[in-house]
Amino acid sequence: MKIKLKYLITTAAFIGIALLILLAKAISNSDLISSDSFRILLGLNIFFICSLIGLIGVQIFQLLQSVKKEITGSRLTLRLVLSFALMGIVPVLIVYLVSVNFLTKSIESWFDVKVESALEGGLTLGQKTIDILMSDIELKGKSIAYSIGNAEVDQRNNILTDLRAKFGIQDAVIFDQDSLIIEVSSERNNLIPPIPNIEDLERGSRDFFGKIEETNGEQIFLKAFIPIISKNVMSKKLILQLTQPIPPSIANLALSVESVYDEYQQLTYSRNSLKIIYILTLTLVLLLALLSSVAASFVISRKFSSPLAMLADATREISKGNYKKIISEQGKDELGILIKSFNSMTSQLEQATKNSEKDRERLELARTFLETILAHLTTGVIVIDEKKIIRLNNVSASKMLQNKESKMNNKLMSAVISDNKGFEPLYEFISTYIVDNKENKKEVSQEFKLYKDNRERTIMLQITPLNDKKNKTYVLVIDDISEVTEAQRHSAWGEIARRLAHEIKNPLTPIQLSAERIQHKFGNKLNKEDAIILERSTNTIVNQVNSLKIMVNEFAEYARPPKIQKDQIRIDNLIDEVIELYEIDKIIDVKKDKNIPIIYADQNKIRQVIINLIENSKDALKDSKKPKIRIFIKKKVNEVELILEDNGIGISDEIIGRIFEPYVTSKKTGTGLGLAIVHKIIEEHNGDIKIERIRNSGTRVIIKLKSGRR
Amino acid sequence: MLFFKKISVIIITIFVALLIIDRFYQSEVNEILIKDVVINAKENIRYLNFKQEINIDSPIRKAINNGIPLVFKVILKIVKINDILPNKTVSKEIRYYQIEYKALRKVYKIKDINGKKYEYKHIDEAIKKISTVEDFEFSIIDNHINHELWLNVSLERKKLPKPLQVNYFDRTWYMNSNKSIHKL
Repeated sequence: MKIKLKYLITTAAFIGIALLILLAKAISNSDLISSDSFRILLGLNIFFICSLIGLIGVQIFQLLQSVKKEITGSRLTLRLVLSFALMGIVPVLIVYLVSVNFLTKSIESWFDVKVESALEGGLTLGQKTIDILMSDIELKGKSIAYSIGNAEVDQRNNILTDLRAKFGIQDAVIFDQDSLIIEVSSERNNLIPPIPNIEDLERGSRDFFGKIEETNGEQIFLKAFIPIISKNVMSKKLILQLTQPIPPSIANLALSVESVYDEYQQLTYSRNSLKIIYILTLTLVLLLALLSSVAASFVISRKFSSPLAMLADATREISKGNYKKIISEQGKDELGILIKSFNSMTSQLEQATKNSEKDRERLELARTFLETILAHLTTGVIVIDEKKIIRLNNVSASKMLQNKESKMNNKLMSAVISDNKGFEPLYEFISTYIVDNKENKKEVSQEFKLYKDNRERTIMLQITPLNDKKNKTYVLVIDDISEVTEAQRHSAWGEIARRLAHEIKNPLTPIQLSAERIQHKFGNKLNKEDAIILERSTNTIVNQVNSLKIMVNEFAEYARPPKIQKDQIRIDNLIDEVIELYEIDKIIDVKKDKNIPIIYADQNKIRQVIINLIENSKDALKDSKKPKIRIFIKKKVNEVELILEDNGIGISDEIIGRIFEPYVTSKKTGTGLGLAIVHKIIEEHNGDIKIERIRNSGTRVIIKLKSGRR
Repeated sequence: MLFFKKISVIIITIFVALLIIDRFYQSEVNEILIKDVVINAKENIRYLNFKQEINIDSPIRKAINNGIPLVFKVILKIVKINDILPNKTVSKEIRYYQIEYKALRKVYKIKDINGKKYEYKHIDEAIKKISTVEDFEFSIIDNHINHELWLNVSLERKKLPKPLQVNYFDRTWYMNSNKSIHKL
């Protein structure tokens, strides 16, 4: 498009120049080109000017549209076009105005007063000469006419010939009123005179009438018509015609003066037209030059601005991150060097960005990897700075400190801890460590026994200072090892229970049998008093052995290896079945959701759990005035929730955290293994058991068991 | 391609505008009125005589007095009129007559269509003379039914001095008669 415009303007300029040369030639040499050719040339020039105006109009419209659309480089192009156009218009206009003034004055100077006076003088001189010659021929003619008028008819020819010869007249012819030749006398032999105009004869019949005639443009003659007044009144009216050539020297001079005078007069008359044509030609030259320069200014401006626009576009693309934008190299000038440098810079930037992107991806991958690891860690990880502001933490840390997965970033450690009672010792330790170990970069770890949600938790804290030059940061690794320690304790208790059961159970039966045998053998042989003592003692032994057996059985139950026989059971039916045993007490109230799902569990074990819990509640309700046990069976998503509440004396804060451990009990009697066994059974079913105090009085046990057929 | 389409539209518009301007200028001419047309017959030869009203105003008189010759062109056409097909020009005759001032002799020289020369001392006499065209001789064929004589008189601008010829802005020199049509 731009190339086409360039060629179009160049072609237009060449054609315009050619036309202008022809136009100038046409004006300078009028014979060279006809008025029609001049008209065509003029029309073509105007046509080209109009075409250029149209072309420029289109260009201006397109440029303004580009400016309106804020296309890169359009404003610069507009500014350059205006500058170039102004640079062209001002000098050309000045030259034009000076030229017009000069031209007008030059044309006016052609018509000098002196030249005109000289020409008029020359013409007048010629006229006077001819007038003198005419007066001379008039005198001679009148004399001849008088002589012939007074002569007899037969003497006319002689008199005419004599007088013509005497006066040196070339031809003398007598006509009558009907243009008939009466007499002829001539220097030339055998002259057949041409018949004059009737009008000339008529005028000559009235009075003297002279005129000048040209023959073939070479020679001029004086022709005089004189009326012949005859003495015979009755005779026809005759007219004498005299023809006398003007001497060639005079005639040529007179004719040449007349010719020049005519030309001068024509030129004088045409000077306004001349001015108009010259000014028109000059105006066309001006317009062609101006419009060509304006049209060219578009091409040049675009040539200048297009690399800059491309650079601006490319810069914008690069700022958006597109480094693929390569500008085609243009020329070897400064702009070309700039584009070359820009392309080089772009490729370097692209390479650097690619490298940076790769590094970033690697970092991102490592960070994601680290975050994934941290997220899946059950151990809480927190990074804090010197001001104890949390910079980083994983999900486990949030759960541990806030009981939820909300973000802790940029929060003060103290604010997070304050929301979570029980963790104050942890915070105090951290604060002390940071104050005490500002310079010392020693790694420390500490175990804490904390109470959270009425349960004792064992927390392991490890603090590692990071070697960051700018900011001192610390990595806190918080590990809740409660379950591990609990499992360890359960394991230890299991071992104890197993050994106890094994070591104690074996001698019990011989002891019981021995006591019964003693009673049986010696009861009848002793006196009554001794017999009573014996009986009481052996009964005590047997009772205590039975008690020991129960205890040993419970230990054995607690220590037994996990062996459960799961089956599909309906827990609501199982509870109904169990509470029938306690129906007489009428203290148990059961509420259950509809369509309680089947669970896959060991029916006997679950029954034992329910019985143990009901028994515990009953023990807790011994002193209660309005004893009440409430059982809720709730249908949850993929599980069944069993809640057992009583309004008994409840469990004290001291033991509630360890209530599932053996020998931890608030009861005066009992082995303290009931809840431990319950806990063990629920764990064996992959369930969850929680025990909590009810605000005023009483205890609530919540058991969650997975629903489903397997 | 689109660019050339746009350009061609502009060029055509300009061309049409120029044509309209040209027509407008052509319409502003000094009219010559042809009247009293008489055709005399002598065997197959016809002699055309007519008079004209030529508006020779002050600038033209001034031009004549400045030695500028005025040459008028008379075009005579014998046209066969055809109802369906285009009319056919059977014959065409062009004659000139002129008026010119001779400064040396201070006379207005007239040369009529037949080449006869007349001289007048006064311009009005000369103008009167050129207003009458006499004995324009032309021949016709025997069977001249449906034939017409078309007559047109105009000032021959090509015979004017070049500066006046090319001064298209001066409408003084555009003198033309309407087409005068006569049945033969």
